Amino acid sequence: MTEAMIATILSGLVLGSLYAMMASGLSVVWTTLGVFNFAHGALMTLGAYVAWTISEYLGLGLAAGMVAGTLAAALAGIVIERLLVRPFYTNRNMLLITVMTTLAAMIIIEKGTQVIWGPRLKQLPRIADGELFIFGSAISVHEALIVLIAPVTLIALWAFTARTLTGRSLRAAGQNQTAAALIGIHVPHAYGLAYALSAGLAGFTGVLLGSIRFLTPTLGSEPLVKAMTVVILGGLGSLGATAGAAFVIGFLEAFLVLTVGLYWTPSLLFLTMIVVLIFRPNGLFGGRS
Amino acid sequence: MTMLLEADNITAGYGAVTVLRNLSLHLSDNESIGLFGPNGHGKTTLLMTISGLVRPSSGSIRYDGVDITLNRASDIGAAGLAHSPQGNTLFGEMGVAEILELSAFTRRAKVQRKTQMERVYSLFPRLAERQKQLARTLSGGERQMLSIGCALMCAPRLLMLDEPTLGLSPKLKEELGIAVADIAKSGTPLVVVEQDVQFLLSLTDRLYMIEHGEVVREIDRTDAPDHAEIMKLYFGGDSDD
Ligand SMILES: Nc1ncnc2c1ncn2[C@@H]1O[C@H](COP(=O)(O)OP(=O)(O)OP(=O)(O)O)[C@@H](O)[C@H]1O
Ligand SMILES: [Mg+2]
Repeated sequence: MTEAMIATILSGLVLGSLYAMMASGLSVVWTTLGVFNFAHGALMTLGAYVAWTISEYLGLGLAAGMVAGTLAAALAGIVIERLLVRPFYTNRNMLLITVMTTLAAMIIIEKGTQVIWGPRLKQLPRIADGELFIFGSAISVHEALIVLIAPVTLIALWAFTARTLTGRSLRAAGQNQTAAALIGIHVPHAYGLAYALSAGLAGFTGVLLGSIRFLTPTLGSEPLVKAMTVVILGGLGSLGATAGAAFVIGFLEAFLVLTVGLYWTPSLLFLTMIVVLIFRPNGLFGGRS
Repeated sequence: MTMLLEADNITAGYGAVTVLRNLSLHLSDNESIGLFGPNGHGKTTLLMTISGLVRPSSGSIRYDGVDITLNRASDIGAAGLAHSPQGNTLFGEMGVAEILELSAFTRRAKVQRKTQMERVYSLFPRLAERQKQLARTLSGGERQMLSIGCALMCAPRLLMLDEPTLGLSPKLKEELGIAVADIAKSGTPLVVVEQDVQFLLSLTDRLYMIEHGEVVREIDRTDAPDHAEIMKLYFGGDSDD
C-alpha cells in the first residue's frame, strides 16, 4: 500500500468518526420528534466557543471546557425545543415549520457567536499532543483519540436508547405519542430530553472538532450538510446504520479529496447520495422499500 | 359502596364538533361496565376523554375520589387508570417483550413488573412465543393481545378496553373473551366497549347504551333484554328518523 492510500484511510476514519457523532445526534431528534434540527451544527459551534472560554480564556483546562461546552449546548437545545419546536407539535405542517425555526436558531447562534467572541480565529488545545505513525503515515494522537471516542459514544448512546427505561421512553414517544402517554410517559418531557441529549452530543463533537479546525461561527455548519447526507444515506433510523453510513461518507470523501480534489468533492458526495437513494430508497442499510 | 369512576355531565368533542352531550356514568369499586351503541356515536371519544386525551368543554371526571378532569393523560395513566385504545398500533419498531417491559413505566407499575409479565404471558401464550418480534409485524389479533398486555403491565386499578375483539375471528374472539373474563375475575374493574351485547353481558355487570353522545339506556345484567329486544334497541332508533 502506498503512503497516500494509508493517509486517505486514516483521514477517512477521522472524518467518519466525526460524521457518525454528528449524524447520531441528528438522528436522536429525528426519530423522537420527527424534526430535522438545522441548528445542530450551530450547537457544535456554540459548544466549541464555550469550551474555549472556559479552557483558554479562563484557563481552567480542556476537561472543564469540554464539560461546559457540552452542557451549554444541551441547555441551548432545551431552549430551542421549548421556544421554536414545541409550539408547533400539533401543527399539520410541523416538519416544514421546524425547518424554518431551526434554521432561524442556526442563524441566531452563528451571529451570536460572532458578536460575543469576535472575528479573531481561535483554536482549542488538543486532548493530547504527539503523533502516531501507522505504516509510515502520521496521525495526531488527538485524531486517533477521536477515532476511539466516536464508537464509545455511539455504543453508550445505543445502550441508553435501547436498554434503559428512559431511553426506551424516548423511542416510544417518537413512535406513538398517544400510546406513550397512556402508559405514563410525559411526552413533552421525552421530547425535551431527546433534544438536550442530541444538543449535548453536538456540543461535545464541536469541542473535538475545535481542536482540529479553527473556531469560526460556521465551524459546525459545513460538516452539518455532510452529517445530513449521512443520516439520509443511513436510512433515517437505527444508530448502527447511521454509523455505517458515516464511515462510508468519510472514506468516500477522503478518497475523493485524494483523486479529484477538494473542489469537486462536495458535489460528488451529493451525487453519490442521490444515486444511492434512486436504487435504495430507504438508504444504504434501510432494508427493502 | 365507593365510586371508582364518576363522569358527570361530560360535554366533549373535536374543535367545533360536539360528540358527547352531558353524558354521565359511574362505576363502583367492585363492578365492571360495558358500553355499546351505533358506530360513530362517541364511545371511543368517551374513553379518550376519561384518559385525558380529549379535553371536555364542561363536566367533571372523578377517579378514585380525585378530580382528574384537567389532568394530563400521562398522569392519569400513572395513577393506574389503564386504557387499551381502539386499533392501537403501539410502538411499531419495538419488540413484544421490550414494549411490555416499557409499559411498566411508572413507579407503581415498576414494582409489579415481573409478576405482571408472567401474567401477560400466561394469559396470551402467543405473545410469549413472539417476544422478539416487532410490533408492526404482528397480526391484528396478536396486536390486540399486546395492547391489552400493555394495559396490564401498567398495574391497572381500572382497565378500559376499546373494542378488544374488533375484526377478530369467532375463535380468537372467544379466546380473548376468556382472557378478559380472567382479568375481571382477578378483581380488576373493567370498562369494555363492544358492539356485541351478549359478549358484554358475559363480562360485565351493567351496560350503558350510548347514542348521539348520550346515555340512552342503562341495562343491568340481572334483567337483561333478550336478543330480539337488543336488535330493536340498535335498529329501532333508525326507523324513527
Ligand atoms: N380526531 C377527530 N376529529 C374530528 N372528529 C372526530 C375525531 N375522532 C372522532 N371523530 C368523530 O367523532 C364521532 C364519534 O367518534 P367515536 O370514535 O367516539 O365513535 P365510536 O362510538 O367509538 O364509534 P365506533 O363504534 O365506530 O368505534 C364520529 O362522528 C367521528 O367521526
Ligand atoms: Mg370506537
